[in-house]
Amino acid sequence: MKRISIIKQLTGIMISLMLLIGLWRCVKEKLVYITTTDVNMTAYLEKYPEQFSEFRKILDMTGYASFLSAYGAYTLFAPTNDAIDVYLQDKGYTSVDQVDVDELKNLVRFHLLSDTLRSNTFTDGKLPSLTMFGQYLITGTRNIDGITKVVVNRQANIIQSDIMVGNGIIHVIDHVLQPAKFSVAQLVENNPKYSIFTQALKETGFYDTLNVLPANNPDARRKFLTVLAESDSVLNVAGFNNYADLKAKYCNTGDPKNGLDSLHLFVAYHVLYDAKYLADIATSQSQTTLAPLEIVSSTLTGTTILINDVIFLGVHEPGAQIDRAASDNSATNGVVNSVLQHYTLKIRKPVRVDWDVADQPEIRKLTSIFRKSTTTVSWTKTGGDPFQDIDWQDGAMAFGPTYSWSLASTITRYMLYGDMLMLPIGGPNRVLWYEFRTPLIVRGKYKVWAGYRQQKNSGSTTSVNQFSVDGVTLPRLLEFTVARPVGTDAELEAQGWKQYSENSDPIIGARLLGVIDIKTTDRHILRIQNISGTQNQNNLDIIQFIPINDDQVYPRFKPDGTLIPKP
Amino acid sequence: MIQKIKYLTLLLIAVMLTTSCEKWLDLKPEDGIIRQNFWKTKEDVKSAVVGCYSSLFATTQTLFIWGEIRGDMLSPTIKTTTEQMDIINGNILSSNSITSWRVIYKTINYCNTVIDFAPQVLVSDKTFKESDLNSYLAEVHALRGLMYFNLLRSFGEVPLQLKSTSSDANLEQLEKSSQQEVWDQIVLDLTFAEKYAPTTYGIREQDKGRITRYTVNAIQADVYLWMEKYTECIDACNKVIASGQFGLIAGKVPGDNITDSIINSQWFNTVFYEGNSNESIFEFQYDNQVMNPFYSFFISTSRQFMGSPLVMDEIYTVDPLDDTNKDIRGDFSSIRSSDGMIWKFAGTNNTSPGTPRTSTSSYAHWFVYRYSDILLMKAEALAWSGGGAEALALVKVIRSRANALIGTAKSPDPNSSIEVSDYIMEERAREFAFEGKRWYDILRNAKRNNYEHIQYLLDIVTKAAPADRQQSILNKYKDVRSHYLPINLYELQTDKNLVQNPFYQ
Repeated sequence: MKRISIIKQLTGIMISLMLLIGLWRCVKEKLVYITTTDVNMTAYLEKYPEQFSEFRKILDMTGYASFLSAYGAYTLFAPTNDAIDVYLQDKGYTSVDQVDVDELKNLVRFHLLSDTLRSNTFTDGKLPSLTMFGQYLITGTRNIDGITKVVVNRQANIIQSDIMVGNGIIHVIDHVLQPAKFSVAQLVENNPKYSIFTQALKETGFYDTLNVLPANNPDARRKFLTVLAESDSVLNVAGFNNYADLKAKYCNTGDPKNGLDSLHLFVAYHVLYDAKYLADIATSQSQTTLAPLEIVSSTLTGTTILINDVIFLGVHEPGAQIDRAASDNSATNGVVNSVLQHYTLKIRKPVRVDWDVADQPEIRKLTSIFRKSTTTVSWTKTGGDPFQDIDWQDGAMAFGPTYSWSLASTITRYMLYGDMLMLPIGGPNRVLWYEFRTPLIVRGKYKVWAGYRQQKNSGSTTSVNQFSVDGVTLPRLLEFTVARPVGTDAELEAQGWKQYSENSDPIIGARLLGVIDIKTTDRHILRIQNISGTQNQNNLDIIQFIPINDDQVYPRFKPDGTLIPKP
Repeated sequence: MIQKIKYLTLLLIAVMLTTSCEKWLDLKPEDGIIRQNFWKTKEDVKSAVVGCYSSLFATTQTLFIWGEIRGDMLSPTIKTTTEQMDIINGNILSSNSITSWRVIYKTINYCNTVIDFAPQVLVSDKTFKESDLNSYLAEVHALRGLMYFNLLRSFGEVPLQLKSTSSDANLEQLEKSSQQEVWDQIVLDLTFAEKYAPTTYGIREQDKGRITRYTVNAIQADVYLWMEKYTECIDACNKVIASGQFGLIAGKVPGDNITDSIINSQWFNTVFYEGNSNESIFEFQYDNQVMNPFYSFFISTSRQFMGSPLVMDEIYTVDPLDDTNKDIRGDFSSIRSSDGMIWKFAGTNNTSPGTPRTSTSSYAHWFVYRYSDILLMKAEALAWSGGGAEALALVKVIRSRANALIGTAKSPDPNSSIEVSDYIMEERAREFAFEGKRWYDILRNAKRNNYEHIQYLLDIVTKAAPADRQQSILNKYKDVRSHYLPINLYELQTDKNLVQNPFYQ
């Protein structure tokens, strides 16, 4: 009996044990099948119906809802319900259902970019990418009664920015963004301030050029254009009371449509390639215009942007100021900006440029060094570009130029002002290239000379370098290790050499690098590229751009800078 | 049988549970001291106060960035971080870690701890006198005041934490106090500190590295100037001046010729390289055991900041004709003009080409107050309380000591407060370059008399702004609420009672 009860008890224990084990075994392992729990744009909008139900509805109507719930990288400016109500009221509708679907499609596409743009990419000008509608959006800030808000397209304030969702970034805005309706030409025409300028646009044929929608424009470069318009009052101040005055002054061929006519060029000179908002103009130093090979230069001083404010041959030529308040007007195919002074093309004759490469603003600031102390100064690029006008290859070995001056040293004593830049160049432990921004060079043909002091690190060292201007290679190579030959001026010039300094020692001489056709009156980029060899002692003193028909040999220089005229 | 099994199991369990290591139940740490065992002797109090000072080392980087990055004297490099660039570009977000005030509150909490627990040592250590206690308390009250002053100037409104947080149990969810409440607290702390702080500790390093009564007066002057209470500011300055304990290190010394004077070649070495000079009032005492954060900031190849080109061009200027004639605070003092290195904290000497400090010798002090600050604060207070002529005389003292160049000299109308104070501001930029004061100077002058002079701030901001964001930045700064930093996101998430500053809502 006892035995049976034991067995019974044991069986009970066994069964409950098996049950227990059996129950434990069947826990399903939890597997994660999704990579993220972040919602996408459509789902985000759905989550906050009190803010976005209207816009969500528009997405459904236009068929964009599914597209914005799929993966991708977008930026969406999402208008709130209030924003859409205001939009509907303005248009005379009572609900979004009444609006034409095509109109809504355009509207959504204007709020959407295929790029992820956080608020820290917002500048004073256009966003870096086009909207899906094909027009740029501009950002900025507006201060009303001491309260500053970030504005998009001058139409909406940003209420909440940088909402990260699975397929991009949402910025919430309080008004609907509306694309520009008028072309650049129409914008100018619609503004009564520009009556003279409009007439000039029409007479020269540029009205049509500026009246093409980007989608219809076969010329890819001219899809977006910018006008720097001169208002009637600006032209009046400059002595033009009406279009006839303007024509009388500039139209030299009698046909303003002729590409060579000065009036045609005057208007072309006021049209820039690309959509150039003021932020774009302020950040680059020159803008290409529709006038063939002519650029306008731009400078930002304080908050003022000046057009063609240049120093030419030591003389300051004051520029035309941009009217901030009347600028940054978006058109379907570009921007209309306004200038406060009349400006026009300057006819300049090619003129000789003797460019002392060691005369850089950053070196001039070292007053205890510049043309004064034999202490040499070297620059590297660690932690920032030391020069605004000199650049060289990046990298750990990026030792840059060394400035040295001495009127006693055998190296520099015959150089112009007794100073030079030593440019270490050549692999594997030196940089392979330098780029210098030249002074202003007038459009024309020039012979380019490099004046240097020969030096050779050791018997077998070579240093062969090629120069180029704006990417156009100059044919002759410069070997810093080779001295110029000896001979008469005429013999030397025929071989592409000359004596440029007072001293006749062949270790100091200038090499003709080639002839260059400078296309635009601008500051250009001169590049020195290593071909073979490597050494530090590449002693560059001067680069000369001498118009091809001028005397190439004289005047020479004394070390104090005085010119030695042709005897 | 079953019984047997049962007993065996029980026994097994009993054995397993009771053989545990005996110290398991002892909750005291073996390698540290707990509060109940601390706070017993006067030495404990002293080491806690020293701990407050040590915590300052961690604040330098924050104080530098808050005080300089929105000014006009720094330039970014290629290694400047995205967060730093965001602030330079006027795009300040609460997620930016630069807006974190944690290190400052850490020091405040250390001070609070001393204030809460030091008094009980009077009971346990009979050799600890009440006067000693008050002297220590004065130090931490002054430090707390200084830290709240930094917070006030940076955030506008901050929560006032006046009790120590020694455990999770007494974590408080605080609301922001108004500017007035924070001001009042700072003044209260400083009044207490002034009453009990010693005038000297007998050792130069401690006189310059710990709070003395004169340090308290210097902070008071700064606070009163910020609050536009000029009489009180002048009083505080006069206390320091009248002490006779401080003076300016001569910038020029007699040359070979008796009538001639030449630049004191030791000036940089004395004031900045060695530190703790006669003109110093309070400095963070970095030494070869505690490096400052500036090696990676200014010196190493991946430095994050350099001086702006404007510093030499406009602030110090150069004498184009005579290079020996220079402002001693300029090239090779505040900045190395050849590469923009911030020489005040980076340099070891002042002769060209200059040797920067290395990663193991980067222990230049952080200068909180120098005697020249007292003179210029007094001048500013005088300028706004009808003492223009006297103010200009003080500026002249600073200028001639530094051999300031003729290019930066101006002759403002002594009766025009604004002209005199603008001139003082320019002099402050030269005198305290990179000492973490520039932005606060700009803001103090812009906000005076209900933002009467906001154009001053806007002009400076415009100069330093990147060209493509200039207008945005200008408009943002026109909104005066943007002059204060946002509360960091982390603080908002952990303290639900905090409300974000209005500009950033």
